[in-house]
Parts: sequence; C-alpha cells; structure tokens
Amino acid sequence: MNQTEKFWGLIILIIVILGYVIPYTFLSDVTKWYGSFLIWSILALITIVANYFLTTDWSDEE
Amino acid sequence: MSTTLVWSTIAIYVVIAIVIAYLSRNGRQNSMSGYFLGERKLNGFVSALSYSATTYSAFMLVGLAGLTYNGGVGALGFEIIYFMGVSLVAIFGPRFWLVGKKYGYVTPSEMLGDRYQNKWVAVVAAVASSLFLIPYSAVQLTGIGYLLQGVTNDAIPYTTGVIIATVLALVFSYIAGIRSVAWTDSLQSLIMIITSTIVVILIVNSLGGVSGFFASIEANDPQALAVPGNGFFNFWTFLGLTIPWFFFSISNPQVSQRLFMPASLKSLRHMLLGFLVFGLIYTVVSVVWGFSASILFPGLENADLATPMLLSSDVVPPILGVIVMVGIMAAAISTIDSILLTLSSLFSRDVYRNVKGEANDRKQLMIGKIVIPIIAVLAFLFAQLELDLIAVLSVASSAGLIVVVPAIIGTFFWKRGTAPGVIVSVTISSILVIYIEATGGLLLGLKSGIWGIIVATFLFIVVSITTQPPEQKANEFIDYVKGRMKNKK
Repeated sequence: MNQTEKFWGLIILIIVILGYVIPYTFLSDVTKWYGSFLIWSILALITIVANYFLTTDWSDEE
Repeated sequence: MSTTLVWSTIAIYVVIAIVIAYLSRNGRQNSMSGYFLGERKLNGFVSALSYSATTYSAFMLVGLAGLTYNGGVGALGFEIIYFMGVSLVAIFGPRFWLVGKKYGYVTPSEMLGDRYQNKWVAVVAAVASSLFLIPYSAVQLTGIGYLLQGVTNDAIPYTTGVIIATVLALVFSYIAGIRSVAWTDSLQSLIMIITSTIVVILIVNSLGGVSGFFASIEANDPQALAVPGNGFFNFWTFLGLTIPWFFFSISNPQVSQRLFMPASLKSLRHMLLGFLVFGLIYTVVSVVWGFSASILFPGLENADLATPMLLSSDVVPPILGVIVMVGIMAAAISTIDSILLTLSSLFSRDVYRNVKGEANDRKQLMIGKIVIPIIAVLAFLFAQLELDLIAVLSVASSAGLIVVVPAIIGTFFWKRGTAPGVIVSVTISSILVIYIEATGGLLLGLKSGIWGIIVATFLFIVVSITTQPPEQKANEFIDYVKGRMKNKK
C-alpha cells in the first residue's frame, strides 16, 4: 500500500471503530436525534470525504 | 392500491426498460468479456448507478425500513457500517481493475484460481458463491411476490409476481448481457432515488417537518433513537450482522465482478463516489421511512409491511406510491439479473472450463447463456417453496460469502498464501456457516458471519504456512500491482 492509502485507510479504520464504539458507549442513553442518528450520519459523510481524497489521483488512462 | 393502476405502471416500466435494454446493444456481445463485462468500457456514471441498483435490492426499502421499525436507529448504524465497508473498493478496486486488464479475468474466482495457480481454487470459490447466491436471488423473487400480493390485496397472486420478476430478469440478462443490465439498472436507480426521496419529504412534512418528525419519535418511542434501544440491536447482534456486510463489496461476486468493468480508474472513482452519495441518500430515506411507519402505524405484526402500509396510506399520492412500488420491484429484479449473469459466468468460466479442459471463449459464452435460464428456474423453484429454509439460507448468504475474503486479501497482499490454504479455508468455513445457520444461527453466542471470517482467516494462514506457495506467480502478480499503484502517485 502506498502512503496515501495508508493514511486515508487508517482514517477510515478509525471511523469504522468509532461507528461501533461511540453509539454503544457514550450515546447509549441519549434518546435524541443528536445522539446515534447524528454521529452515524457524520461518520458516513467523513467516509465520503476520505474516499474522495483516497482516490484523487486515479487517472483516466484506459 | 388499485390493481389496474399497478398493472398499468408495471406495463409502462416493462416497455421503457426493454427499449433501454435494446438500445444498449452497441459493441460486441459475442465474447465473454463483451457479454459479462461490457468490454471493460463502462463509464463512471452508468457504473455508479448500476452498482447502486445491484447492491440495493428490495432489502433497503422493505427490509431496512422494517429493521428500523423493529429495532430503531441501530438499523441506520448497521447500514452505515456496510457503507463504510464500501471503502474497500478504494483499496481493492484499482487492484482488481489492473489485474483484470492485464490477465483478462472475467470473474473474481478466475482471478483467485490464476493467482494461486490452481484451477480447483476457482472451482471451489465459484461453487461456494453459487451455493450462497441462488437462495439470495430466490429471496428477491419472494419479496416481489409478497409486495405485489400485499399492495393489491391478493389481486395479483404471489406466484404471478414471482413469474413476472423471473421473466424480466431473464429478458434483461439476455438482450445484451451486462450492458442491458447496467442501463436498465441506471434507469431504475434514478427513478427510485427521486421518487423515494419525494415520498420521504411528503411523509416528514405530514409529521410536522424535520423537528416534528424527531419530536414524534421521542414522544412515541424514545428508545428507538438509541442502541441497544429496545434490545433488538444488542451489541453482539449488531456485530454479527455488520461484519459480513462490511466485506460485502469484495465478498459478493456480482459486486466485485463490477470492479473489472469500468473503462478507466477515473471511471472506477466516479463509480465509487457516485455510489457513496447515492447510498447515503438511500440509507437515510429507508431509515426515515421505517421511523415514519412506526409513528403512523404502530403495532404492525410484520415489520416488512411498513413499506406497503406507507405507500398505500393517504400521505402518499397513489400515483407516486405505485411508481415507488414498481421501483422496489425493479430494484429486486436488477439485483437478480446481475446475480444471474455473474453466476452463469462463474459456471461457464470457472467450473465448466476447468472441469472440461478445452473450452474456447465462444463455447464458454454459449454455456453461460444456456445456464442463465437454468439458474433462473432454480431461483424460481426456491421462491415457490416458500420455505423457512430460504430465510435461513439468505441470512447465511452474506455470512457464507465472507469466507472468501481472506483469500482475496491474500491475493494482493500476501505472497505466502497457497491454493490448499484457499481450498481448505473456503470449504470448511462454508460448511461451518451452513451448519450454524441450520442449527439456530448462533455458536457459543456468536453469529455465523463472525465464525466465518475468524475460521476462514485462521485456516487460510495455517494451511498456507504449511504448504508451498506459487512463488513465481505470486511475485509477478503482487510486484506488478505494487509497481502500478506506486506509479499512479
């Protein structure tokens, strides 16, 4: 894996782990929209951003 | 919902889809890569929409809405973890694409067979995929049968729905192979995302806007906004459900085969990013849908009825409701036709060619085309049985397909991986997953998918270390990928 892949891959791995840990620990008692609903939505958006940067230099060579 | 309206909308959809499928017939369809991969020339836009349609079956708007209805926000988390797993395409996508072009692979199992230098690797991977995917297509057919039966109050019988779906999947697969499937998928994706989003806006508005929507949930069932909530999504269930789906993008051959198809890495990138944007909208739509049904129709005995209830309610205009209903049907069909094509290519390329010995490209294609209706009939028969077994096998399918993941990772990142390692890990873990699913779905408190990935990884590593790797091929293959990936930077 190259450096870009390692960096953004690690970010995504952290996002995935947070996707398990935060809702089941800190947010398990929060019965509001700004609890798990919000955190999973934000993590999904960060995933899109990470994928955007991870793939910026994919060329159009066929 | 009026039966005439349902029939008329289905008829319009069929006519438009067949015209689009027919128009997609440019390029050669008389070769394996032409018919099954669209000559590896799909552009990013079509790839993204088609990838979305293939991945998002009726499961989303019926199943995920039902899961939300039953278990609350945990359903969103479940789908978002899957969504994060699609990032694996960013790592594995360019690698599949590069070796697909260099070595001419048509199927993912063919790639495994060549990389590990053993035809039985391809055969075993192909058979395992077929074993888990045929019931999965049957479940899609079942879904259409129940949906049409449900919204028309039995005016369209279950079997009629199943027959319509089977015939349409066959027709789309036949007209121009993957090209017609990709283009009809694109049409379906666009219609679905637009109409289902409009439905959500209408429903949320009827509940007093976004703040009214959340206020209703908090008043109605506050636990639905947290996990484990009512206990439906306890942590171990959540983990067991999400692990197989996290690897879905590389474990399911009808999806990973698409990594061979884009015209360039840029098209692959557009496919990935387009899918992620589409997927997030679709996920939020399905979850809001489920929450809304829990507010509007509490106490449903069968949560899968949440969607038919919403679509036939006063909140949604009948014409919009029927379009979305046909859209859900089209979503299921687009999943089946992609699976039909993938399975027939697996059979002709990986099983028939390897077992038979001499079989040129033309012969393989002919066999593939013969096999398509046979697989469709098998799926149809499975659906007709209406057995619990189908449900068992469909849950097992995502868990079962995960067993090939260690071998795929090893293909690109572990030179020491061997053919016996793949064969033993895939075979034993598949049997273990089926055993666990057939005996209640849990072993020592853990779901089959968790066992599948742990046991497959363990066996792949241990057996590989004790056997001889195909050094020359492993070096050439992995060094090629490494070199090309470095040059991109």
